[in-house]
Amino acid sequence: MSVDAESPIPEAVAAQVRAGQRLSADVVAHLATLSDILALGALADDCRRARHGARTTFVRVHAFDVDTMDRWQPAPAAAREMRLTGQPSSLDHALQAVRAARALSGGRVVRGFALEDLAVLGGRDGLRALVAAGLHDAAYVSPGPAAAALVAEGRHVGLGVRVIGATRVAADRTAWLLDARALADAVSGLVAVAPLPRVPDRLTPTTGFDDVRTVALARIALEHVPTIQVDWGRYGPKLAQVALTVGADDLDGVEAADDTSKGPRRAPLEDVRRNIAAAALVPVERDARFERLDA
Amino acid sequence: MTLTLDVLGTRILAGGRLSGPEALWLYREAPTLWLGRMADAVRRRKHPEGVVTYIIDRNVNYTNVCTARCNFCAFYRTVGHREGYVLGFDEIHRKIDETIALGGNQLLLQGGHNPDLPIDWYEDLFRGVKAKFPDFKLHALSPPEILHISRTAKLPVPEVVGRLVGAGLDSVPGGGAEILVDRVRKLLNCYGKASSDEWLDVMREVHRAGLRTTATMMYGTVETDDERLEHMLRLRALQDETGGFTAFITWSYQPEHTERGGEEATGVDYLRTLAIARLVLDNFDNLQASWVTQGGKVGQLSLAFGANDMGSVMIEENVVRAAGAAYCMDEFEVVRNIENAGFAASRRTMHYEQLGTPVFRQRDVPRMVELATAREDGDDSVPAELVNYQARSAAGKRQRGQAPPSPVA
Repeated sequence: MSVDAESPIPEAVAAQVRAGQRLSADVVAHLATLSDILALGALADDCRRARHGARTTFVRVHAFDVDTMDRWQPAPAAAREMRLTGQPSSLDHALQAVRAARALSGGRVVRGFALEDLAVLGGRDGLRALVAAGLHDAAYVSPGPAAAALVAEGRHVGLGVRVIGATRVAADRTAWLLDARALADAVSGLVAVAPLPRVPDRLTPTTGFDDVRTVALARIALEHVPTIQVDWGRYGPKLAQVALTVGADDLDGVEAADDTSKGPRRAPLEDVRRNIAAAALVPVERDARFERLDA
Repeated sequence: MTLTLDVLGTRILAGGRLSGPEALWLYREAPTLWLGRMADAVRRRKHPEGVVTYIIDRNVNYTNVCTARCNFCAFYRTVGHREGYVLGFDEIHRKIDETIALGGNQLLLQGGHNPDLPIDWYEDLFRGVKAKFPDFKLHALSPPEILHISRTAKLPVPEVVGRLVGAGLDSVPGGGAEILVDRVRKLLNCYGKASSDEWLDVMREVHRAGLRTTATMMYGTVETDDERLEHMLRLRALQDETGGFTAFITWSYQPEHTERGGEEATGVDYLRTLAIARLVLDNFDNLQASWVTQGGKVGQLSLAFGANDMGSVMIEENVVRAAGAAYCMDEFEVVRNIENAGFAASRRTMHYEQLGTPVFRQRDVPRMVELATAREDGDDSVPAELVNYQARSAAGKRQRGQAPPSPVA
């Protein structure tokens, strides 16, 4: 007897998912109600392994928080990406931050901010100015009615967008996933979805069940998006590692400074590799453009 | 016979027992989510009512002075150390008052192997608590502490247990088990405080005395996979014999500030270990989630990997905090996590008798954003009553103004 016999997921749905076929919105909504998150996770893991095998990518990021510009330091040599975080208060603030990050980047890719946060600062001209200042990509775009047009606007002036992300917890996570799917349908080149919010709700943080369900559903519902990301720094090694077993295949936000003050085996690079390997997966470092560095 | 997931899964779901080699094979080879779903099936069979329990108690460490010197511990201080402390009876009574105010019904009372606390100190403490708080429970003194008292009092363990029960001991926590394999215990420098057999023998005596206990396992130091399984199998054998264990709790070694150092086992390792424990310990009813070492998220995920209990609200914690873990969940947060996972939440006693709805739904209870500690920073007071108890160490005698031993003629 197999535990699959006890799965609450109908076999026809599981077969559809494993074949890479799209689920209807109703079926996605039904899966979102299941309390058996391990059945959901196992199905998501099947999809992830069909696409990526055991390979798990990670990227070392040096973050520049726009609220602490006076404390910025040059990026460590190991950083594969500069990441501007936070919400700039004005276009001038954003431009100042991009120029400063660019100066400290050593010529490496500078990504940052939510596209929608940048667009409200100065429209197309503002985006063009940010690109001229040295911003390569928006860190992510949130799904929504205007998202596809925003991505097109950004790309028109040379600003890349590769990731669909969430700034805050969506009131309806299933609706968020379906909006993300629609955005990935409408716009090519969105290679990754980061379904867990960047800014936690401090009063009512998401739970482990919420996060696992969201990651697994993202893998199942967004059958055409290659990469499902979890942020290592924000979510921590334990939750991020578990997420890798339920559909995620990429760890974003790994600290770039190789701090060995707690011993070489607890340095960030070693720690992320150890956690990936301990989940019976194979770590592969990538760069800001999602290019594998082992190739 | 060739081991397969189907064969072993069929046996597990039918309620059959796993052998050591079978359990080891599953622990090493089975996919994580398969292990979790099997453990969840067993949990559902044992607890079909869909209730996850928790207890409101306070984790009080009456002293941090310890002669054991386990190299994985960041909490202890040596005899005479300026940061060494013993809590006074009044301080402990105050902590009980605070615990009762939050709806608590028990102290989890453990401490170091302090040579300057004789058995009558423990008896007086317990009697004093019971006199002032007759219904309040004392879940106290892990097997190595009982052994330590036995050694310092030069009394056999059954007599020590009898005296402590007579003074008010209600149940015994399963601390100090670490890994019940002597090779491991010697490497962790905890063989001296209690060998594997000694730990189990104390538990056997406590069960014979009619008390229930928990059992624990701290993994992630120097042990091998099969030594983790050996630990579980030894607990299973004693449980077959006495039936005295109420619950099993496992947690990962916390390396910060310890002599041993190293790194912490991963979240997936924790969930696999919890799940295999649910499968191996088929004669244990209850498995606790260790949110205090794993954090709230993986703590909650434990409920999908075989745990049926969220452990304690704790109120206070000192030992794993000293080693780097500083998670906090008050009753509101514990219940929110239980219900979010699809279960009904119920308070319980140490004996897993359900006490009903959360306290915060019955009356206003202040939210708790961090766990309390044994003492405020800088509090180096010495309880007045200590002078009534004969110290054994030279430092203890000096502190209490007790005469040094007479020179040998």
